[in-house]
Amino acid sequence: MVSCEDTLEVESKSALDESVIFSNPSLAEGAVAGIIHSFGETNSYRGRFILYYGMNTDTEVTHSLRDVNDDKARLSNYNTNVNNGQMNSENNAWAKFYEGIERANVAIRGLRTYGNVENDAYMAQLLGEVLTLRAVVYNDLLNAWGDVPARFEPITSETLYQPRANRDEIYKQLLADLEEAATMVPWPNENRLTQSTERINKAFVKGLRARLALAACGFGQRPSGLARSTDPDLASEKMYAIVKQETLDIINSGTAELETFEGVFRSLHREDYVAGKEILWEIPFDAGRGRVIFDLGVKHTNADKYTAQNRGGSNGPNPSIFYDFDIDDVRRDISCVPYEWTDGVQVPTNANKFYFGKYRYEWLFEESGRRVDAPNDDGLNFIYMRYSDVLLMAAEAINELDGPAAAAPYLREVRERAFPNHPEKVDAFMAQATASKEAFFEAIVDERAFEFIGEKLRKRDLIRWNLLGTKLAESADKLQQFENREGKYADLPEKIYYKTADDGESVVIYGLNYGDTDEAGAALGYAENKTWKLNSDSDVTMYWEALYRNDPNSRQFWPIWQVFVDSSNGQLSNDGYGY
Amino acid sequence: MIAGIWAIGLLAYAQQGQLVTGNVVDTQGEPLPGVNIIIKGTSTGSVTDFDGNFQLQVPDAQNAVLLFRFIGFEEQEIAVQGRSTITAVLHTSSIGLDEVVAIGYGTVRKRDITGSVASVSGDALQAIPVASATEAITGKLAGVQISATEGSPDAEIKIRVRGGGSITGDNTPLLIVDGFPVESINDIAPSDIESIDVLKDASSTAIYGSRGANGVIIVTTKSGVAGKVTVNYNAYTAWKKLANKLDVLGAYDYAKFQYERAMLANKPENFTDYFGNYQDLDLYREVKGNDWQDQVFGRTGFTFNHNLSINGGGDKTRYSFSYSHIDDKAIMQMSSFKRDNLTLKMSNKPHEKVTLDFSLRYSNTEIEGGGANEQNEISSADSRLKYAMIYPPFPVSGLTNSGETDPDFNLYHPVTALRDNDRYQTRRSYNMNASASWEVVDNLTLRTEVGLDDYKSDDQRFYGLTTYYVKDRPSAENSGMPAIIFNKRNRDSFRNTNTLNYDFSNLVSERQSLNLLLGQEYFVREQEEHTTTVHGLPETFLLADAAALPAQGSPYSIENYYSPDDVLLSYFGRANYSLDDKYLLSATFRADGSSKFSEGNQWGYFPSAAAAWRITGESFMDNTQHWLDDLKLRLSYGTAGNNNIPSGQLIQNLEVRTTNYVNGFDSYWAGSKTMANPDLKWETTVTRNLGLDFTLLGGRLNGSAEAYINNTKDLLIQFPVAGTGYDNQYRNMGETQNKGFEFMLNWVVVDTRNIGFNVSGNIGFNQNEIISLGLMDDFTQDSGWASTEVGADFMVAEGGSVGQMLGYRNAGRYEVDDFEGYINDNWVLKEGVVDSSPVVGSLRPGSMKLYDETDDDLVDVDDRVVIGDANPLHTGGITLNGRAYGFDLSAAFNWSYGNDVYNANKVEYTSTSKYHSRNMLTIMEDGKRWTNLREDGTISNDPSELAEMNTNTTMWSPYMQRFVFSDWAVEDGSFLRLNTLTLGYTLPSDLTSRLRLSNFRVYASAYNVFTLTNYSGFDPEVSTRRKTALTPGVDYSAYPKSRSFVVGLNLTF
Repeated sequence: MVSCEDTLEVESKSALDESVIFSNPSLAEGAVAGIIHSFGETNSYRGRFILYYGMNTDTEVTHSLRDVNDDKARLSNYNTNVNNGQMNSENNAWAKFYEGIERANVAIRGLRTYGNVENDAYMAQLLGEVLTLRAVVYNDLLNAWGDVPARFEPITSETLYQPRANRDEIYKQLLADLEEAATMVPWPNENRLTQSTERINKAFVKGLRARLALAACGFGQRPSGLARSTDPDLASEKMYAIVKQETLDIINSGTAELETFEGVFRSLHREDYVAGKEILWEIPFDAGRGRVIFDLGVKHTNADKYTAQNRGGSNGPNPSIFYDFDIDDVRRDISCVPYEWTDGVQVPTNANKFYFGKYRYEWLFEESGRRVDAPNDDGLNFIYMRYSDVLLMAAEAINELDGPAAAAPYLREVRERAFPNHPEKVDAFMAQATASKEAFFEAIVDERAFEFIGEKLRKRDLIRWNLLGTKLAESADKLQQFENREGKYADLPEKIYYKTADDGESVVIYGLNYGDTDEAGAALGYAENKTWKLNSDSDVTMYWEALYRNDPNSRQFWPIWQVFVDSSNGQLSNDGYGY
Repeated sequence: MIAGIWAIGLLAYAQQGQLVTGNVVDTQGEPLPGVNIIIKGTSTGSVTDFDGNFQLQVPDAQNAVLLFRFIGFEEQEIAVQGRSTITAVLHTSSIGLDEVVAIGYGTVRKRDITGSVASVSGDALQAIPVASATEAITGKLAGVQISATEGSPDAEIKIRVRGGGSITGDNTPLLIVDGFPVESINDIAPSDIESIDVLKDASSTAIYGSRGANGVIIVTTKSGVAGKVTVNYNAYTAWKKLANKLDVLGAYDYAKFQYERAMLANKPENFTDYFGNYQDLDLYREVKGNDWQDQVFGRTGFTFNHNLSINGGGDKTRYSFSYSHIDDKAIMQMSSFKRDNLTLKMSNKPHEKVTLDFSLRYSNTEIEGGGANEQNEISSADSRLKYAMIYPPFPVSGLTNSGETDPDFNLYHPVTALRDNDRYQTRRSYNMNASASWEVVDNLTLRTEVGLDDYKSDDQRFYGLTTYYVKDRPSAENSGMPAIIFNKRNRDSFRNTNTLNYDFSNLVSERQSLNLLLGQEYFVREQEEHTTTVHGLPETFLLADAAALPAQGSPYSIENYYSPDDVLLSYFGRANYSLDDKYLLSATFRADGSSKFSEGNQWGYFPSAAAAWRITGESFMDNTQHWLDDLKLRLSYGTAGNNNIPSGQLIQNLEVRTTNYVNGFDSYWAGSKTMANPDLKWETTVTRNLGLDFTLLGGRLNGSAEAYINNTKDLLIQFPVAGTGYDNQYRNMGETQNKGFEFMLNWVVVDTRNIGFNVSGNIGFNQNEIISLGLMDDFTQDSGWASTEVGADFMVAEGGSVGQMLGYRNAGRYEVDDFEGYINDNWVLKEGVVDSSPVVGSLRPGSMKLYDETDDDLVDVDDRVVIGDANPLHTGGITLNGRAYGFDLSAAFNWSYGNDVYNANKVEYTSTSKYHSRNMLTIMEDGKRWTNLREDGTISNDPSELAEMNTNTTMWSPYMQRFVFSDWAVEDGSFLRLNTLTLGYTLPSDLTSRLRLSNFRVYASAYNVFTLTNYSGFDPEVSTRRKTALTPGVDYSAYPKSRSFVVGLNLTF
């Protein structure tokens, strides 16, 4: 009556198969969006990773750190629990990162099979973008969790459960992928897509390859101990050679340049995504999605003309970095903001609460005319790489390979931008830095601290240099000395003195700089003053004690959260990571 | 009126022929009033009067046969043979052995049943005023567990036959209405139901093959009955009140605790900003708190239900028509329910060998209000019950009058929250069936059925200013403004069944009977879903405005999703054989091909066999005949399948979705979050059933006992694979077993003309065990009521059962003695005292203490153990029916014993978690909870003083950093409920007949009269976290149950 075989074959009406999607340029582009969509999921980059990753270091801390047993603090103080309430959910960044990877893997297979990438430059560019986005996600997985499962093909029933892979294998794959991607993706402004900093361009691909190469040959906690890779393919010289090659390619391409230090971040807030300047790539959050200012920016305690969102500043600069800056370094006051907004007026916080001034509602309002009124998201993009990073990576690698003299120009370029009005200080600094290879390395370590506050690069840098424990211990010492006004802080005033400027909203603060004194401060006759301290009387745990609650080197990475261990069919564990 | 004209017509027709008079009595000689008498093959008839007398003009008195019909009695035919007086003796049919039971593609007399079938007849449903068919059978069928998941008028009713074998899958039995598989039987008016039969073992369900694994519920609606036209009118009205309230802290105690909490949290501003100075706390003694429960759930609900049915026909044509309407204003503000049903059934016999049937059912349901929670929630933050429970009892400046809520308070006015989570749903379904039977040659019947089912649902879900949705989902420019989601679903099903039935009675000897059924069926279901989301509506909009004027907002997404068709192609056969009416055998075989599986796995084959032995038919039983009417032993073995997963799981196709996460893109292509699995195949259940049916004392005592073991293998599990790249995947893995025992008994204690009393009861024991989970030993599941704070709280493990609750064992609280003391501004635990801080947060005397299961003096995730089980040991019901001189009284009890309830409400309402200024249950009132607060408003850290202050307190301190699920929140959910209690009065028939009525009954009823339970929440019959089947028995934000009082009447013309 009814023919069986045909009867039981049914069509998927509202879904399309890979052969259709990946042979059609406009549909295939939608698969790129699919990967980034995973970035924007609630507990992915958007709500968890950008907020919690990378804390605490000598430059960046979480503001919840003094509740040392609170889940938020524990994520940062090297003492997290595997069931941390902020992270232990099935839709956590861990899961969403692998969702993005799977979407990328499907797209890579689809484009290679159906996309005619050998002959179709547009499809090849999409493939290059997807390869790069996959490397971005892996970069963060490796940064946060150490060894992680390696998935470079779409999942099948056989490959569903994977143990942690040796990170060396993943680094090698990513380095190869990015090498390939660089052949497919044009330079900034070379075609329509690369006019935008929201799309992948060749400068970013190469920069990311350099960043991965540095990480691959650096130190890191492994189940076998704290060590560099022993894989000959990832030997330091080979990696530095890659870094040198890639960064010089970018520099020599002339497709990127430094802006003024404030200018970069104002560009970010302008939301015009003009490529060819300092920003190489930013995570393209929609205007209604993403929590960069919400979590990292200068806090507005209530709604005002710049924002209706009373948020900001779950994290901030480590107070000690503020006092490490040269007073003439323009990066200090852009990176470290000692006030918050209340009723539309800047009000000083306490010494324990600086904000990342790179992210400001007021800049968003001024540059793009946008006053955020959503309660949960501000939609600012997150800068993934700037040209100054490329310069400093070049300086670092060339110093290792060719010595400080060859590396000096790149460090100088970054330094000059930081001291636009004090060339003599730059000269003096460079003279000291180029004294030896070691001195130059030390200068790079410090320079990267000053340059990238709030950009979440520091923790990974310290780990690969094997300086995480050292720098945190130094920082704790500094903070304690500061609180007691000892050592280099001995002459700092006890208080700050402040008033609202004539514009009716800016605060003028005296007492933050070396050379300021309480006598002079009091003599200014400002309306208000307050004691400038890290701890309050009721504090149980001193601020510097809250920085880390375990040897940071025993817990350089987060554990894989309990829900994922539980559902891994016994393949995943946190053995060897201090948990 | 119409009926009157009709009757006159009949009367005119009956004016010729011979007058036959007579009398109808029961076996005890008592006259029977109201018996229907029809001349067979005509529509001419009469009814007996109060004394059982009748008279009737019979045109052809030599050949005519009279048919006597009366509810509760066996039908009887008496040939007139020219007589003018006839006395008929009717036998009560309570023995039920000749009752006909639906068994799928046919019926069978109860005496011939070999499998396990439980039945409820329409009469039993009629007497009790209920809104739905499932409500009516609650507690009436052994092994059939029916539980309401909460108290709303449209609450999902969970039906489980013998526990259900699947783990993550839907264990709902296959629902068949008049032969057509349907999704729900709640849209059928109870008054339209002729009978409900439940097939429990595979020998009965195997004829439904693929989908019978969880049992089959067959609903048969009323058909026209030849004879005099009868018109039934039933109506009732009901008043409802909230059944139970939970006490919360009064104003003063509430404020006092907020002070202590603020001090402990080292955030005195959490108090001073809202409540003023501690010194002025006494002012709150004067404040009278609002009773939010009363304001939200306290109104008097009102239900009106009526139903009209007309039924009649002659020899060739029979018909029935019915209309029902129910209008239910529920106890919760803004919550109501309305349903209209229209049913038409016609049967025609154009030729003696041919019967044509046609039926049409229409139902339209409207539901207003968003309820207290929803399964497809955006966030558990939008669950509504907490607002009515823990919102500040009095206005608090800065909290209750603020446009923006403090995220660390995160509560909204209870009534605002209802308005902002408003919803309006309509569901409309048409079902049409036509069939033709043709007796091709003697004893060979060919039957063709064609059916069509069209279901449309329309759902308008409004999200107002206070909802998590509008803060989270819309893009920047529309964030925080109202939104509405329109969801329309269409589901069209088509079915064609052809069967051939041959009765071998002419070919086999007299002693034997053999009946053979062969059939073929084709079923296809098309499904589509249209979702339109509008964001950025004006801030003043509520649901009605948003639904009517969506263009005021901006369209966010318009998505249409067409599911792949679900096609099922089947061939089946059944043979029933009996020898001497003593040895019964039946064998069934079905082959099903499903489009949900890929080639090679598409076909499932489901054989079964059953045998029965009527012991009382043996000669050695002759001497028991005087008391034992019937004793039958049944044995069956069979398989049934399950393919109850969404279609389209075989290939990972890419789907397009709207995005507002990615700049520069409005949509994206990606695979579904459910990973495809090309290797899926049928889930198979093997059942073994042993049953014993008995009838004693002339039918006054009858019952059955059954034991079964069901094994389900190749379970279709929606398996969590988070962290791999997908969220979950359907798989065949593992094996479960359900074994149990059922017993049911009916006892007619007294049955005389004026007095009757009978009792029926049933009990079912079921034990579920997971025999294997394939490649895993166990996995956990998160019920998610507290978003991510509690984590995995259910455990699925080999050797266990679905519904095992995973958490900590509560060890009370830390006493002062547990600490070395308060050293350096810190409470330091003594060496050897278990440290619960990884779970409960930083410790001080009074903190909740948990057991350390791993002997490392530390309580962390490894110390979670199984602390509860949602499965009952047994469930059942008892129904008492009495009547005396026109009065009838019935009481229906049902119970569940041995199941645990996860009282998540209690956790939320007794611990602060990260929130401030929330109220609590009186479990935590001053004097019961641990206190750290001195009279002078400071926190004591003096060990001896703290011990002194807490000598009389018993509870831990509610101040803790997160919600903790411990066995304290697992409560015994056993209950015994008097579900309905009804008192009716039927007017004597001499009076009724004078009113030209054949029946007139009035009644008063109470519903949910009382519940005996130790459960401390609203009601132990609850399960609100149903997104997966793995988290049953959680009481979180359930719509509270009501108690109702009903008055109604039944009229028959």
